[in-house]
Amino acid sequence: MTDSYLYIIVALMPLSAAMLVFQTNPYHALIIRGVLGAMSALIYAVLGAADVALTEALVGTMLAITLYAVAVRSSMVMRLGILKDYLSDHIKEKDQQKDQPTPEPVLEPAPAEETVASSAQPPPPFETLLSDLRTVFRRHHMRIELYAYADSEALQQALMDRDVHAICLPTAALQEAVSAQGDRESLYRKPDWQSEPAPYQTITRLRRLYDIMNAELASSSTTLTLTAVGRSAPTSVSHAIPVSVQPLEEQP
Amino acid sequence: MTLVLIAMILALLIPMCEAWKDEDIWQTMLAFASIATKTSVMILVVSVLRDDWMIGVVGVIILSVGNAALMLLAHVIKRLSEA
Repeated sequence: MTDSYLYIIVALMPLSAAMLVFQTNPYHALIIRGVLGAMSALIYAVLGAADVALTEALVGTMLAITLYAVAVRSSMVMRLGILKDYLSDHIKEKDQQKDQPTPEPVLEPAPAEETVASSAQPPPPFETLLSDLRTVFRRHHMRIELYAYADSEALQQALMDRDVHAICLPTAALQEAVSAQGDRESLYRKPDWQSEPAPYQTITRLRRLYDIMNAELASSSTTLTLTAVGRSAPTSVSHAIPVSVQPLEEQP
Repeated sequence: MTLVLIAMILALLIPMCEAWKDEDIWQTMLAFASIATKTSVMILVVSVLRDDWMIGVVGVIILSVGNAALMLLAHVIKRLSEA
């Protein structure tokens, strides 16, 4: 225990622990957790605790990192519901390898001519809006997963059922859905798109996501809405339009 | 032999500095690979120095397991960057 190098080696562990604590990116923090595990295994082995070193290397470095990586990857994600027509081939290719837990998978390969022949052609800035959203959420170390739904009613039902965190749909489709509901139309505050329509309407049910998008999303192609989803059982929601929509404010 | 170990510790500080400051996650992974291998080799050096076979076996196991953990983590991160 009187070897001088032991002091230097032992000092490496608080160094790497401080690196881990002060790291903000969760994926970098995972890797530095591996560094800390390697460092701890070195110290334990040098101090004579071979069994502890082996356990640290096997469990602390290998198993914990892998489990944490899976956990971080599956939790730091925003599920965005969109209409199926708006899923261009480019996005389909990018999402090809994703697992799809919800009943409406993205990956149904719609025939190209059907997309062309569909009446509602996506306005051009959707890709721009999507890339803006990805940029904003990448700053918060989050990813965006896309889920395609057939029509706007299914989209809003998915939001009510908490299948997705936010939905993005064209303003025209939302107007149709609202006017189809008739008496519930009065529950919406008339947003600004009556006078100057933004091509898309993004509705989220989570206040944190709304705050992030409201503060940082510079795109003018969407209006933002925060909707309140009740705590009741999702299966009891029978209407496709959220009754308790309370648009707080819209971004111009 | 102590000087050899101290030189190895100094070499260990280089990838730690890289893991601290670098923004690219693959650079951090490279630094992690470097650190994992260096620490295992240091365990082996200490075991040879002390003529302790128990520590030597642990060093060999850690040397091999570190690469497996690295491959698993790299696979998860690769899936992540594709998304």
